[in-house]
Amino acid sequence: MKKLDKRLLRTIRESKGQFISLTIVVIVALIVYVSFSMVADQLYNSIYQYYGETNFAHIFVDVNRVPGNVVDDLLSIDGIDQVQGRVVSDVPLRVEDPNEKVNVRIVSVPSNENQINSLFVLEGEELRPGTRTTSVLQQFFIGRDMEIGDTLRPYIGGTEYSLEVVAEVGNPEYIYLMENEQTLLPDEKGFGVIYVPEEFAQSALGFQGSYNNVIVTIDESQENRIDIIADDIEDRLERFGIRSIVTREDHLSHSVMIQEVDSLKLMSQSMTIIFLLVASVVISIMLSRIVRKDRIGIGVLKGLGYGNTQILMHYVKYSIAIGLTGSLIGILFSIPISRSLVELYIQYMNIPLFRSVIDNNYLIYGTLLTTAFCVAAGLFGARSVLQISPADAMRPETPRTGKRMWIESFQAFWKRMTFSWKMVLRNISRTKRRAFFLVIGIALTFAVTMVPVFMSTVWDTLFERQYSQLQKMDYSIEFTRPLDIKVIPELQKLTQIDYIEPKVELPFELAEGWRKEIVNVIGIRRDTIMYGFRTTSGREIELPEKGIVLTDILARQLHAGPGDTISINSVLPGVSEKTIEVKAVVEQYFGKNAYMDIEQMYEIIEEKNIATGALAFTDWNITQDLRDVQNISAINTVQDLRATMEEYMDLIIASMGALMLFGGILGFAIVYNITIVSISERIMEFSSLRVLGFDKKEIFKLVTRENALMTVFGLILGMPLGYSMCKGIADAVSTDMYTIPAIIEPFVYLYSAVATVVFVIVAQMATYKKIKDLNFIDALKNRIS
Amino acid sequence: MSENILLKAENLSKLYQMGEVTVAAVKNVDIEIINGEFAVILGPSGSGKSTLLNILGGMDQPTEGNVYMNGESIIGFNDKKLTAYRRDKVGFVFQFYNLMGTLTARENVELATEICEDALDIDEVLETVGLGDRKDHFPSQMSGGEQQRVAIARAVAKNADLLLCDEPTGALDFETGIKILGLLKEINVKYNKTVVIITHNVPIGEMADRVIKMRSGEIIEITENKDPIEPERIVW
Repeated sequence: MKKLDKRLLRTIRESKGQFISLTIVVIVALIVYVSFSMVADQLYNSIYQYYGETNFAHIFVDVNRVPGNVVDDLLSIDGIDQVQGRVVSDVPLRVEDPNEKVNVRIVSVPSNENQINSLFVLEGEELRPGTRTTSVLQQFFIGRDMEIGDTLRPYIGGTEYSLEVVAEVGNPEYIYLMENEQTLLPDEKGFGVIYVPEEFAQSALGFQGSYNNVIVTIDESQENRIDIIADDIEDRLERFGIRSIVTREDHLSHSVMIQEVDSLKLMSQSMTIIFLLVASVVISIMLSRIVRKDRIGIGVLKGLGYGNTQILMHYVKYSIAIGLTGSLIGILFSIPISRSLVELYIQYMNIPLFRSVIDNNYLIYGTLLTTAFCVAAGLFGARSVLQISPADAMRPETPRTGKRMWIESFQAFWKRMTFSWKMVLRNISRTKRRAFFLVIGIALTFAVTMVPVFMSTVWDTLFERQYSQLQKMDYSIEFTRPLDIKVIPELQKLTQIDYIEPKVELPFELAEGWRKEIVNVIGIRRDTIMYGFRTTSGREIELPEKGIVLTDILARQLHAGPGDTISINSVLPGVSEKTIEVKAVVEQYFGKNAYMDIEQMYEIIEEKNIATGALAFTDWNITQDLRDVQNISAINTVQDLRATMEEYMDLIIASMGALMLFGGILGFAIVYNITIVSISERIMEFSSLRVLGFDKKEIFKLVTRENALMTVFGLILGMPLGYSMCKGIADAVSTDMYTIPAIIEPFVYLYSAVATVVFVIVAQMATYKKIKDLNFIDALKNRIS
Repeated sequence: MSENILLKAENLSKLYQMGEVTVAAVKNVDIEIINGEFAVILGPSGSGKSTLLNILGGMDQPTEGNVYMNGESIIGFNDKKLTAYRRDKVGFVFQFYNLMGTLTARENVELATEICEDALDIDEVLETVGLGDRKDHFPSQMSGGEQQRVAIARAVAKNADLLLCDEPTGALDFETGIKILGLLKEINVKYNKTVVIITHNVPIGEMADRVIKMRSGEIIEITENKDPIEPERIVW
């Protein structure tokens, strides 16, 4: 081994704390980059492979009722490849525990070959036409611990049916299984999808010869015309009462999956860049310090005949060693970590083709990326090697210029300051760039720590806002069809309800200019106590007597605001299109809706005194009392949502914990390395202080005070930085289905600050050894390392 | 005589700008170093001897004048050529040894030899400087005299023609200093190396073939020593 390389190895051994801490930062960067990128790619590829194998639909249409021949006629629309009518309906499922509320979505499956959204059989056999059999979606099958041969008892239109489970299946429509846009999280025990033969669904649900759902695939070459094709379908089916038309892009499961792929990619890029940038800056600061300290050694090497490149590379190899060691260990870790990530996804998502595949390209890219960053940092940090003239290097270094600081002009203040504090301030002012980086580093640590703290609280905050402030009801009862309003007081007699209000919730197409959206518009009483509307600026408002109130997401999509007039077109046949004024835009975090006074709703639908559901206040579990009542299709409670939410909190907290650990590593690496550099730079100064009679603790206190001051500045700067980071992530995670607002409670700042201070203290304690081991006599004698 | 000249400096000056004042560290110096001689450049602190040595050794550039090594000017050399000059033609011994603390005695010597094409046998050189049994020690485990021996071995092992020694006894006690001077003389004779020592210590001049005296950046006297004494007889 070359002697310079041997020297390098011994230098690394002597600065092992710094080497290890920086290598860990590189390891984290590589792990995040490699594993997240691999999983993102694999997820994306698996989804599309799955879509291909199961012939996933491009357009999904919900209609009230459409005859089979009309569905077949859709094939004449230019660009459509295949159409398939389905009967889809959510019904209660009878289970052993009468208090447990379980809903299933019954989806009919035709008997022909080459179906759209075909079932991917994981276990069991195909559905047999003409039998009372069912194939159960994988998540629900596992969630409810089912076995092939079990019997399911859905309750359809007042009758309980028995269906034999013949298969466990996957389906691209429900990779991510959610009951609706407002449930937010999957609940595999409480909601599932069961597939039944078409003729059974049609007869049990009363759809002989007709369907209430149409799915369409389009020619590959026509995919860019998807919106035009959707409009054509809408024109054809309008008279059958379209409840919604959704293209694949807006499909609930698909958009969640793509969102997941995007956020993995975002994470892999942003976290990697943050970590590599921090590692690079610290490496370059450390190397520039080593070069300065090695000035005479560099002079000697030049005197011996070593060239600039040889000497420069000697120092750059230090950072290359960090890059390569970090890459190697990072790769070793990223393979099992990406496998675990895949396992985690498999647990929550239903992609049978999803496998952990190691993509060697990412291993190579990752190594090249980290090494490139480290080489750049090394060259930047050690570049002063080139400027050192061998003759100058032999002369003692001129003392640094000491200048008065601006703060010293405040004499009254300066005079009162103790000697140690004066030293602290002078040193900071002497090494401004490094102090600045330390402040930035601490701010970054604060921000990186704040993101997981924010994300782990945001769901709670969201939940609180959505289900305590906006929707205050305990239960939302849905009727199978619009009923006379007189049923409302009758419901109250059937069970214990403290207070009940009717609602009319119907799908409408709202349009502003060329922009249009099909959404559920909810009509409730103006004096409702079930909703607490707030404008986007936080002002509480009541429903207006006339006009419509849009939720935030919808208003943005329609580009409509208060004062605008929009058109409102019922999907119910025979109701004419009308215009209506937007009176306000209100906050709603999950889903998009519009609201109006129930009387206004009656005017729009040209019908009076009907209700499509009811909203109730009660502490009583009304599900059991109402479960056999005819004409009730669903009973939703906020408690169920909260329970699902809490189950997920563990997962969220675990993944946020990992992020927080990253923040800690970052903070430790920055503070530890900068402090070590600072100590080694001031070793002569500290040695002189030791000779003057300062003890080790007093010297350590000097360093600690400096870092404490920097931490205060770092935290102050970290707050706006953390806010922007949280806001950026909230915006990136928000979708058309839900908005994550950047509502950051004060305790989020407090927790993040406490965590950051802990990281700083731990790093600080680790540097104490350097002071403790300081041999001041040697330090004063030594001229070369 | 001229064929025997190893190094020649002509009209050499080195000026430093200190604020508004220009200070001449070396002024119009003409000097010739003869192949195989043992020369001592004598002068008090600040007389410009270290600056002169640095220029002769290719460590520094003069403001004016020229330096010829075996008849070839080194002043127009680019960085690469100057590095090669230091690597192949010159060996330096510094007052404070300047060893690499993380390398052993042997490794410090190897550090110099592994970039040279025609290096001497390291173990033999270490034997010559009397460190045959200390070669695996680190500088921190050695005395000042031993460290200076390593530094000399490092300069010698390169097998360069010229050994430039900057106050080689400056950091050593009297007895050790004498031993080091004896070693340098031995190397001068045994390996036929040209040795140039700079020092402020007048008695050291007595062992030299020639003594070049400097004051205020100028050469004030060059004396040929017909009968140099043995280093052991030097007293200061």
